Amino acid sequence: MMAQANAELLKLRSTRTTAGLLLAAIVLVLLVTLLTGLVSKIPTLTGVANQRGLLGVGGIAGVLAAVAGALLLTGEFRFGTIRPTFLFTPQRSRVIGAKYLAGLLAGLVFGAIGEALSLGIGAAILSGRGIPFALSGGQLALLILGTLAGCALFGVIGVAVGGIVRNQVAAIVGLLAWVFIVDSLLFGLVPSVGRYMPSQAADALSGSSSAHELSAVAGGAVLIAWTAALAAAGFALTARRDVE
Amino acid sequence: MTTVVEVESLTKRFGALVAVDDLSFSLRQGTITGFLGPNGAGKTTTLRTLLGLAAPTAGKALVFGKPYGELQRPALRVGAVLEATDFHPGRSGRDHLRSLGRATGLPDSRADEVLDLVELRTAAKRRVKTYSLGMRQRLGLAAALLGDPELLVLDEPANGLDPEGVRWLRDILRAFAREGHTVLISSHVLAEVAQVVDQVVIINRGRLVTEAPLVELTARIGGAVRVRSPELERLSEALQRDGLGGVSRADGSLFVGGVTTDRVGAVAFAAGIPLSELSAESSSLEDVFLELTTEDAR
Repeated sequence: MMAQANAELLKLRSTRTTAGLLLAAIVLVLLVTLLTGLVSKIPTLTGVANQRGLLGVGGIAGVLAAVAGALLLTGEFRFGTIRPTFLFTPQRSRVIGAKYLAGLLAGLVFGAIGEALSLGIGAAILSGRGIPFALSGGQLALLILGTLAGCALFGVIGVAVGGIVRNQVAAIVGLLAWVFIVDSLLFGLVPSVGRYMPSQAADALSGSSSAHELSAVAGGAVLIAWTAALAAAGFALTARRDVE
Repeated sequence: MTTVVEVESLTKRFGALVAVDDLSFSLRQGTITGFLGPNGAGKTTTLRTLLGLAAPTAGKALVFGKPYGELQRPALRVGAVLEATDFHPGRSGRDHLRSLGRATGLPDSRADEVLDLVELRTAAKRRVKTYSLGMRQRLGLAAALLGDPELLVLDEPANGLDPEGVRWLRDILRAFAREGHTVLISSHVLAEVAQVVDQVVIINRGRLVTEAPLVELTARIGGAVRVRSPELERLSEALQRDGLGGVSRADGSLFVGGVTTDRVGAVAFAAGIPLSELSAESSSLEDVFLELTTEDAR
């Protein structure tokens, strides 16, 4: 399993795609953090909830980690490398498990870089504009750990969606539409249901306390349940189907 | 001799289509076998089932006595190339090999060794999208050889190779078999593999047509030699003295059945007859099929 994970991590690192996605994550985090921090009026940057929003922008990196994860599996089918991969490791559970692990680590790395940026820049902006820091040590720890965990789980979700959908374009479009459109729409329209969606659960996990949001513990549990269910489906569909 | 591959009553259906139909054959260690049949005969499906990529509908396909999926680190025993294009275009050839090698616990240095073997060292760090088809095929073979296997399975490896590449492949396969290793090589053109295989397994519409040593098959088809000489009459007589019958053709050449070019050349040399042309008439697979099916009808 560790040998296979080692191989999957090399696959992730050895194309420009992953680096490109990481760069996109960095640009996105920088852009949103700078815009929010510099353009917002001072009253909207005081208070715990507002500051948590600014300092937690790094969580967006999780979505790009999910895309990297989806590419790690769909790319194998698109380019046919799934054949040599399964020839070298016919134990498909080992291959899929290693890809989930690689997705998890990619999510952690993306999340760590994204969150370090938004936290560092956000805090610098607050202090530069003379706004007092409102988060307690515990709230800050929850924000950092929750964001990291959320990004890591999103990396796994990306691989799982890739295993379920297989078609590269469909997997990525579906993933982005789900996170950016379906989840937000549902949360806006029917918050009692929408709060159980993955991105809202991830927000709750990092401590977000806006109306209708789940508690951090419940959010974490819901996100883990989503990840486990999707991972199981992705595994079942990839382990059984014939490879052409 | 050990049986390396054993296919027993293998059947594979895709819905209503029967791609492989009750197919049985086996490969003994140290042989090079041509797996032949027209396009759509079920060769690729058989190979993919043998290699665990597809599940059999019925029957067995065993490698070293086990279903492929039950082999631990199978790359150390079996190397296979199914498609010439199974690479991520944005990954370098070396990284492709390193990622496969790491999955089975091989050191990165092994990737460099096989890159040397297939003469791709200088292109190793370039992305595969810059490779020619011939280079991709050599990279595919490098991946198959990565684990230093005892059995090579190649699906239509000569497709798109230039004549030099075909010769190179032949040399590699011969060297591989000389070490007591086994090769299964599929093709839809007999002439492509005739120079390297010891035996053939011919299938059509998913069923076994024949499993025979190549010599037997050649005898059955009656491989012909085409020869030209300024002294055609004398040559014809010399061949007849040797028990070889020839048929004269309108274009002034002579066709001799069931014989090799070596033999005809030796006869001509012994009789002191100059030759202006001497060539083997390669039979197409379609000829073989025609011959075999006609025999079946009788």
